[in-house]
Formats: sequence, C-alpha cells, structure tokens
Amino acid sequence: MLLFRDEEHVRRWCAARELTPGAIVGVDQVHRLAHAWYKDKLRPDWRRQTVDETEALFASIGLTGAFWNLRA
Amino acid sequence: MTADALARDVRLYVFQEAAATGYVPQAPQISAALGRTEADVRSALQELAAGRVLILAPHTSTIWAANPFCAVASGFRVSAAGRRYSAICIWDALGIPAALAADGVVTATCGDCGDAMTLDVAGGRLTDGDGVVHFALPPTRWWDNIGFT
Repeated sequence: MLLFRDEEHVRRWCAARELTPGAIVGVDQVHRLAHAWYKDKLRPDWRRQTVDETEALFASIGLTGAFWNLRA
Repeated sequence: MTADALARDVRLYVFQEAAATGYVPQAPQISAALGRTEADVRSALQELAAGRVLILAPHTSTIWAANPFCAVASGFRVSAAGRRYSAICIWDALGIPAALAADGVVTATCGDCGDAMTLDVAGGRLTDGDGVVHFALPPTRWWDNIGFT
C-alpha cells in the first residue's frame, strides 16, 4: 500500500502502469485501521483476527462495499 | 517443548526484539537467544509465515517483515520511542506507533511524484499530515503476492 498526495496522483501512477485503480482511502482511515490492526501485536496473547472481526473493523472505519468483501 | 510452543517463543522474541531495537532478528540470533538449534528456529519461522504472522523472503527462512516492522531499510520510515524503524508499506508504518504504544513520525514519499510526506501520530491519533492510500488489490488477494500488495 502506497501513500500519495491525492487521488490525481494515484490515477496518474495507475495509468503509467496500465493498472485499474483499486480502493483509494484517506490516510486518517488507514491510520485507524493500522492502529486497530497492530495495537496488540506485541502482546503474548496476540492472535490473528477472525474474518468476522476483520469485517467489523473494516465496517467501523467505513471500508465497505464489494472491494472490502472478505467472503468473495 | 512442542512446535507450537517454540513458534510462540520465536514470535515473542522476534517482535519484542524488533520493537526494542528497531532491528528484526534473524535465525542465528533467535537461535542463540532461545537456546534452540537454527533448524528448529527456521522451522518455527516457516510455521509463523504459514500463519501470516510474519513474512519471509521468497524461498528462504529469512524474515523480510515481522509486520509492522520491516527487516530491511525501506522508503517508509518511522521515528518512535527514540528509535528508527522501517515498514514495508504505509499501513505498517502507521502501525508501528500503535504496536509500540508510542507517539511517532512517519516519513514517506508520494508513490507518484516522489515528494516527501510526513505524518505525525500522537496519543493514538493522526495529528498532522494528509494524503491518500491506494489499495491496488482487494483484501481477498493481498496474500496472492504480498510484495506487490
């Protein structure tokens, strides 16, 4: 996942590589995702999130729709 | 000790060492620290990689990333808790202050134009910096090619 100045930069980067843009997400949303994803990673009892938990996390920060469907 | 117990010990050592030093340990160091053979440690690393706990360099038992910590220098740098860290992507870079429960400064470049970008994290919140993140692939395909992802 790369960081870009804005959506125009994403579209230019994709066009140069003949790629269809995927999902473009605000950096604040990605920070909330990263915080939830990694805040417990150093704990001895850490475990990977379940699909249900990951779906709930995505939804809680507004990552919804077909792109974020984990059961496709 | 069972294989699962060794994998747990390896996991804890790798992530705690990476957090404490900024450097991800590799099999020889892990072996010495835990008093286990390198072969046992490498088997444990393969098990952890299969469980997507960390990422190995292709066809090796060399750790590429104990996410969010990257084992090699990258374009995603984080200053936090008085140390420097690298991450394989912007998601992981933003995850380092979270893993450390510390404030941090993420430096990266725009994937298109290369301009420097800085993001400040404090108190568990993004306090300064903007931009967007491009997810080229949907989550169901992230592990098809984690390097591209």
